[in-house]
Amino acid sequence: MQTEQRTDVAARAVDLTKQYGSGDARVVALDAVSVEFERAAFTAIMGPSGSGKSTLLHCMAGLDAPTSGTVFIGDIDLTSLSEKQLTLLRREKVGFVFQTFNLVPTLTAAENITLPLDIAGERPETAWFDQVVDTVGLRDRLSHRPSELSGGQQQRVAGARALVSRPEIVYADEPTGNLDSRSGAELLGFLRDAVDEHRQTIVMVTHDPTAAGYADRIVFLADGRIVNEMLEPTAQKVLDRMKSLEE
Amino acid sequence: MLRATIKSLLARKLRLLLTALAIVLGVGFVAGTLVLTDTATATFDRLFGDIYAGTDVVVQAHSAFEAGIAEGSGGPTEERNPIPEQVLEQVRGVDGVRGADGDVAGYAQLIDPTTDDTIQNGQAPTLGNSWDPNTTTATLRAGKPPPSSDQVAIDAATAADHHLSIGSRVRVITQAGTSTYTVSGIVGFGDSDNLAGATVTIFDLATAQRLFGREGTLDHIYVVADRGVNDTQLARRIDAVLPKGFEAVTATDVATQQAQNTAQALGFLRTALLVFAFVSLFVGAFIIFNTFNIIVTQRTQELGLYRAIGATSRQVLTSVLIESLVTGLVASAVGLGVGLLLAKGLQGLFSLLGFDLPTTTMQIRPRTVVVSLLVGTAITVVASVAPARRAARVAPIQALRESGIVQSVSVVRRAVTGGLVTATGIGLVLDGLFGGPSNAAAIVGFGAASTFLGAALLSPFVARPLAAWIGAPFRSRTISGKLGRQNAMRNPRRTASTSAALMIGLGLVTFIAVFAASLKASVSAILDETIRADFILTGTQFTPFSSRLAQDLATRPELGAVSPFRQNAAKIAGGVVFLSGVDPATIVRTTNIQMVSGSVASLDNPSTIILSRNVARSHGWQTGDTISVLFNKSGRQTFTIGGVYETNEFLNDYAVSLDAYDRNFTGLLDSIVFVTAADGVRIDRARDAIAAVARNYPNVDVHNQAEFKQQSIDQVNQILVLVFVLLLLAVIISLFGIVNTLSLSIYERVHEIGLLRAVGMSRVQVRRMIRVEAVIIAVLGAVLGIVIGLVFGWVMQRSLSDVGIDRFAVPYGQLVAFILAAAILGVGAAIFPARRAARLDVLAAIAYE
Repeated sequence: MQTEQRTDVAARAVDLTKQYGSGDARVVALDAVSVEFERAAFTAIMGPSGSGKSTLLHCMAGLDAPTSGTVFIGDIDLTSLSEKQLTLLRREKVGFVFQTFNLVPTLTAAENITLPLDIAGERPETAWFDQVVDTVGLRDRLSHRPSELSGGQQQRVAGARALVSRPEIVYADEPTGNLDSRSGAELLGFLRDAVDEHRQTIVMVTHDPTAAGYADRIVFLADGRIVNEMLEPTAQKVLDRMKSLEE
Repeated sequence: MLRATIKSLLARKLRLLLTALAIVLGVGFVAGTLVLTDTATATFDRLFGDIYAGTDVVVQAHSAFEAGIAEGSGGPTEERNPIPEQVLEQVRGVDGVRGADGDVAGYAQLIDPTTDDTIQNGQAPTLGNSWDPNTTTATLRAGKPPPSSDQVAIDAATAADHHLSIGSRVRVITQAGTSTYTVSGIVGFGDSDNLAGATVTIFDLATAQRLFGREGTLDHIYVVADRGVNDTQLARRIDAVLPKGFEAVTATDVATQQAQNTAQALGFLRTALLVFAFVSLFVGAFIIFNTFNIIVTQRTQELGLYRAIGATSRQVLTSVLIESLVTGLVASAVGLGVGLLLAKGLQGLFSLLGFDLPTTTMQIRPRTVVVSLLVGTAITVVASVAPARRAARVAPIQALRESGIVQSVSVVRRAVTGGLVTATGIGLVLDGLFGGPSNAAAIVGFGAASTFLGAALLSPFVARPLAAWIGAPFRSRTISGKLGRQNAMRNPRRTASTSAALMIGLGLVTFIAVFAASLKASVSAILDETIRADFILTGTQFTPFSSRLAQDLATRPELGAVSPFRQNAAKIAGGVVFLSGVDPATIVRTTNIQMVSGSVASLDNPSTIILSRNVARSHGWQTGDTISVLFNKSGRQTFTIGGVYETNEFLNDYAVSLDAYDRNFTGLLDSIVFVTAADGVRIDRARDAIAAVARNYPNVDVHNQAEFKQQSIDQVNQILVLVFVLLLLAVIISLFGIVNTLSLSIYERVHEIGLLRAVGMSRVQVRRMIRVEAVIIAVLGAVLGIVIGLVFGWVMQRSLSDVGIDRFAVPYGQLVAFILAAAILGVGAAIFPARRAARLDVLAAIAYE
C-alpha cells in the first residue's frame, strides 16, 4: 500500500503545448511537455527565465488553458472542464502559494488560512487546522492582519492556506522569491514537513538552487521542453547541473 | 508635461467617461432648464405679438395695482373696471380710427360632448371671449364667427383634441349657467392652436356680455388705426376723449407688458429648476473630487517618477488641473447636448403633471452655451483642486514605493474643519428660517449646501462603524458578504466621500418627504378643526365657478346652510393680499372661526372687515379701528374692523361680507361652497340633492369632509412627486459615483481578486462580493442623508409652525422605502464593476513579472 501510493501520480501533463500569438509573433512557451508529479512528493521545476516553468505550473493548476495536450489532476482531465468546473477544482483539489499578493489584506491570518473553505462554504476540521497552524508556527499571530505580519510570516500563512483544504496538489510559484534567506528556509522547511509528515504533494517553481535543494526531484525546463531531471538533489548538485545545462 | 497629461487622459477613456457623466448630467439639467424656459418665453412673446397683431391701440380702465398672476385662476387675472358701452362710439369717432371693437372676456368651460368631461389643459385657463370683427385677436381657421347667441367659435387645439368640427353641438359653462351651442367656426392665434394651453370659446359680443355679466359694458376696446397713422399719436388722441378712469395705450405696450408678466412667472420656474440643477452639479462635484482623489492615489508611482525626472510640484499640480479642465470642458459640451433632450423631458414631465409649457423651436441662446460650459468646467476644476494639491505633494521617492500616498490631512484638522463647516451651515439655515433676513431662500440654500459639505467632511469618522453596522447581516453568512463588508470598511474616507454624493440626494428627498408629511398632517388637523360643513364644493383643479350653483343649492329643501366663498386680490397697507368674501350668516354654521375679539356677525354691516390675528398683530390693528382697502373696481374704501380671528385655513388674512365683495369686485365667481344637510335629512339624501344640482356644473366637484381632506393631501403628493422626479437626477449622478469608485477600487485590488479567483472563488461569488460593498456604500449614504433630511425637515416645520404647519410627522414607511431603494440602486451600481471584477483574467491579475 505504502509503495503503491508513493508511485501514485497526483498530476500529469501529456504533450502539453502552449503557444502565444500567431505567425511571426508566435511564441512557443511549452513544446509538447509530458510530465508526472508523484503523490506525496516535493517536486521543483527549474529553468532560466522564459523557459516556460511558470506557464507549465499555470496550465497544470487550471489557471491557464493549454493550446493542445491534456492535463490531469488525479483522474480529472482539466482540458475538458468548463470555467466553473475549473474554479471548483482549484477550490477543492489545488492549493496555491504565490510570490506576492498571497493574502487578502482585509482578512486576519486565520481567516486567510480558511479562505478556500470559506469560499466553499465549509467549516474547517479543527484538528487539521490546528495541526497546520502549529506546523507553520503562527498560533500567536492568527488574529493579525497581513500588514501586521513579516514577509516570511505572510508566506507561511499562504502555505497554511494552501494545505488547509487537504488539496490533491499544492503549486508554489517562487514562494521564497521575496524573502530573506532565513524566512525562505523556514517556509521551505514547512513545505518539506508537509510532504514528509502529512503526505502532501507539492510542485514548486523556483530558480533558487537552495530552494530546489529541499525537493525530492527536480525537473529542468529550457525553451519549453523538459531537458533534464534530478532525484534527491542538494543545492551543490543543482548548481553543478545548472552550470552544465548552460554550457 | 502637457503631452503626458493628455496621454494619461486618453489612456483612461472609460474612467474619463464615468467621471464626466456626473458633470454631463448636471450641466444637461442647467442647459435643459435654460432652453426650456427660453423657449417658453419666446413662445409667449410671439403669442402676445400675434394676439395684438391686428390691433394698434387698446382702451382699458386704469388699474390701481397689478394683481399679478393668481394661482390656478380660471379667468383673466387682471381685475379692471368695465368700460361703459357708449365709450366705444366715442372712440370710433376719433380721427384716425379705422375700426374699433368692444371686447369682453370671462370664464367659459367647454364640455366634451362624447365624454361629458370638462375640457381643460392642465391648469391652463378656460377662456371665453367676444368676437372682435375688426381687430381679429383670433383668426378664423375655418367656418365663420358666431352669428347668433346659440353659436360659438372654438380654438383649433380643442377642436382637434376633442374631435369637434363645425356644426358640432357643445355645452359651455359660464357664470350665467350652462347652455348648448353649435360650433360655427374654428380659430387660431397666429401659428398657435390655442392660447398657451388655454382653451378659448368665442361668442358674439351681446351674448358674451350677457354671459359674463357685462351688460352695457366692455372690458377692452381694441382699435385699428387708419393707414399711416402713428400708434402712439392715435393712443394720445383717443386718450383725450376718454372719460376719467380709462386710458388708451398702444397694443405694442400691452403685448410687451403681458410678455413681461409671463416672463416673470417663467423666471420663478427657471429659478426653481436651476436649484435642482445645482443640486445635481453639487453632487457631481463630490464625484469629481472623489474620482480625482482615487486617481491621484493610484498614480502615485507615476507622479513620483515625473518628480524624480525633474518635474516641479507646480507642474504636477498643473497637469492634474489641466486634466480636470479638459474633462470639465468636454463633459460640459456633451451636457449641453444632453440639455436639449432634457428640455424635452422636463416639458413632458410638466405636461404630465398638468402644466403645459408651449414650445416652438428650441431656443438655444448664446447665454445658455456660455453658462453651461462655464458652470460645468468651473465646478470640475474647483472639485479637483484638493486632489491636485495632493498630487503636487507626492515626493520623488514615492516612485519607488508600492503603496499610495499616505493620507496627509490630519484627523484633527479634518474634524475641526468639518465641524466648523457643518456648524456654519446649520447656523445659516437657522438664521434663514428664523432670523427673517431679506434673502432667506438664498441663505437657507447656501446653509444647506454648507451643512452637506461639513457632513461629508465628518462622515469618514462614522463611515467605518456605520458600514460595519449596515453590513452586519452579511458578516457571517458567506465569504463574499464578509469580504464585501470589509472592503466597504477598509477605506472609510473613500467610502464616506462616495456615499456623500448619495447622502445629498437622499437628504433632500427625505427633507421634502418629512416636510410634506408634516404639511399633510397639519392640513388634515386644520381641516378637521375648521370644517363643519357636510360637503365642500370646489372647482375642478380649484378653478372658480359660477355663483349660480350656490343659488340653485339654496333652493333645495334637503340642504341647510349653503355658504359660498370667494376670493380676490386687493391692496391693504401697501401690499397686495387676498380678500375673502363670505356670508356671515352661514359661514359660522359651515366652518369654525375662532374669534379673538369682535364677531363674524359684525360683517352684516357691509363696511366691516374681519382679519386674522397675524395681520392684526403685525399692523397693530384692533377691533373698532378703521383700515383703508384699495380695489381695482371701486378704488379706495374704508372698512371698520369688526373682529379678529385665529389663523384660518380658508379665510386667509382678510374677510368681508358677500355684499361688500360684490360692490368692490367685478368677477363674481365662487371658489368654494360649503353645504350642510338640513336638520333631519340623511347625509346621502343631501348628497343626492347636491348631485342633482351639480350635474349642471361639470366643472365642480362635490366632496364630503374626508374626500376634501384627501384632495388636499393629493395636491401635496403631486408636488412631492414632481420634486422627487427632479431630485432623481442627483440620485442617479451619485450612483455613477458609486460605479466610478467601485471600478477604481477594483482596479486597485486586481491582484487580490485574482488571488481569490485562483484559490477557488467563483465569478458569482466575486460579483456578490462587489454587490455587497456597493449596497453598503449606498445604504450608508441613504442613512446619513435620512438623518440630515430629518433634521432639515424638523427645522423647516418648526419655522413654519406659526403659519399653520404645526405638526411634525415622519413618513416612516417612505424612509424605509428610501433605504430599500438605495440598496437596490446599489445593486444596480454594482452591475458593471462586478462584471468587470468577475471577468478579470486570473493569470494577469496574479502575474508579477
